[in-house]
Amino acid sequence: MTSNFVSAAIRCNRLSRVLVLLFLVATLSPPDRLLALPSNHPDESSDVTYHSTVSEVRLVFFATDERNHNVQQLQKDDFAIVDDERVIREFRSFTRSASVKLDVVVMIDSSESVLPHFQQVTTDVSRLIFQSVWNSQDLISVISFSGMEAHLLCSENCRTSFRVDQVVPTGGATPLLDALDLATTQLIHRRQQDVWPVILLFSDGDDTISKTSFRHVREKILESGTQIYAIDVSSSKRLSNGTATLQRLADDSGGRYVGLADGPVKILNDVMDDLHSGLLVTYVLPQSTSEFHSIRILPTHNLNLQFRCRRGYYSRRFGSARQEDGP
Amino acid sequence: MKRGLWLAFLLCSVPSLLAAQFGIYQHGSVVRMHMGDCMLAHRGMMVAFGPPSIPVQDSCPEYTLVSPNVVYVIVGKTSNQLIPLAEVIDFRLQKNELAVRLDDAKRETKFEIKEMFVRSDWDRIQRHIDAQMKAAEVHDAER
Repeated sequence: MTSNFVSAAIRCNRLSRVLVLLFLVATLSPPDRLLALPSNHPDESSDVTYHSTVSEVRLVFFATDERNHNVQQLQKDDFAIVDDERVIREFRSFTRSASVKLDVVVMIDSSESVLPHFQQVTTDVSRLIFQSVWNSQDLISVISFSGMEAHLLCSENCRTSFRVDQVVPTGGATPLLDALDLATTQLIHRRQQDVWPVILLFSDGDDTISKTSFRHVREKILESGTQIYAIDVSSSKRLSNGTATLQRLADDSGGRYVGLADGPVKILNDVMDDLHSGLLVTYVLPQSTSEFHSIRILPTHNLNLQFRCRRGYYSRRFGSARQEDGP
Repeated sequence: MKRGLWLAFLLCSVPSLLAAQFGIYQHGSVVRMHMGDCMLAHRGMMVAFGPPSIPVQDSCPEYTLVSPNVVYVIVGKTSNQLIPLAEVIDFRLQKNELAVRLDDAKRETKFEIKEMFVRSDWDRIQRHIDAQMKAAEVHDAER
């Protein structure tokens, strides 16, 4: 009886040792060796790469009341976005764009048709660059265009390097769309998530020689999320093709159209007020069958509120990630 | 003159006030909106039997209004007939039209009803569309 009990105890002891051994093997061995499964990626243990899709829309917009004054106290639930027909009320974030860094390209038309106002334009541009209130991280570039091409006078650091005598009134034809194409390309190359690209365009809008089409430029502007502030320097008070072009560029991009007749101080104040009063909202990219999403912002309660933003955006795939354009 | 004005004011405001008092408003949420054809709103006796006229090239807002049991597709009569896109809006059916209460303005605005769906059918269709779009997205991503 006693020997049976002892042998049973020894067997039990052996069994527990085997179990402990098995437990150690199980915990210390890599899982694929334990299960005898061949690993497809023998070296990936420490360099695992996770892929995810970027699906966020960032939108800068402006809200005004019935007197056309900027609304200072706008709340997240005061507006809804109609994105490709879908009504969106849930936003990831909602902030004032004053905290967003600006990447501004000032474009000066120096062609024949604007020469009568050239002096005033260069004075305005100089005042805008040197006397306006910019954040320390804002980037300012200046492009002038006339004849057959556009010239980049200074890039990103014009607050320190721009000189008025760099802009020469050369006359000749107006390559407006080519110049816009160049400016937008520059902005796209520098594109960052928290940078708001803006073009301040001083021109009469009357393109006479560009190789680039209006449609191409418009698409590129919408794709880059650039807002255009068009300052019409034409002397004609009638609605011309140039004026219509400038208005369309400003409206479609969510910017503004102003006439030089409004006076330089008012123009510059309006533009700077706008740049400091923009609102930035982000939301999840909604599903859509098309790459182009039209956008409209509408009030949720107060129908007197007016909203201004770009007409739409393109959601394109870059590699495996789906990415929406900048703010 | 004053009495006349008061009477006119009462006649205008009483229907919506009564509607609010007796709780005959239904609740719903606008989930889709786009600018569509105004022709539906311009249909009528005068258009049908009157002299031929040039078709109006205008666009009117079209909303998909989802209520607990029925989904309505409604069309505005003019291009600027907007309704607030609040989470929940009050509306009621009046003859063949749908009257939406404008919260802040304390009045109603009327829309033509273009289509109606039973909510469960509409939900099923939406699920199907969403699944198809998701599948297309996965397919695109794999290419």
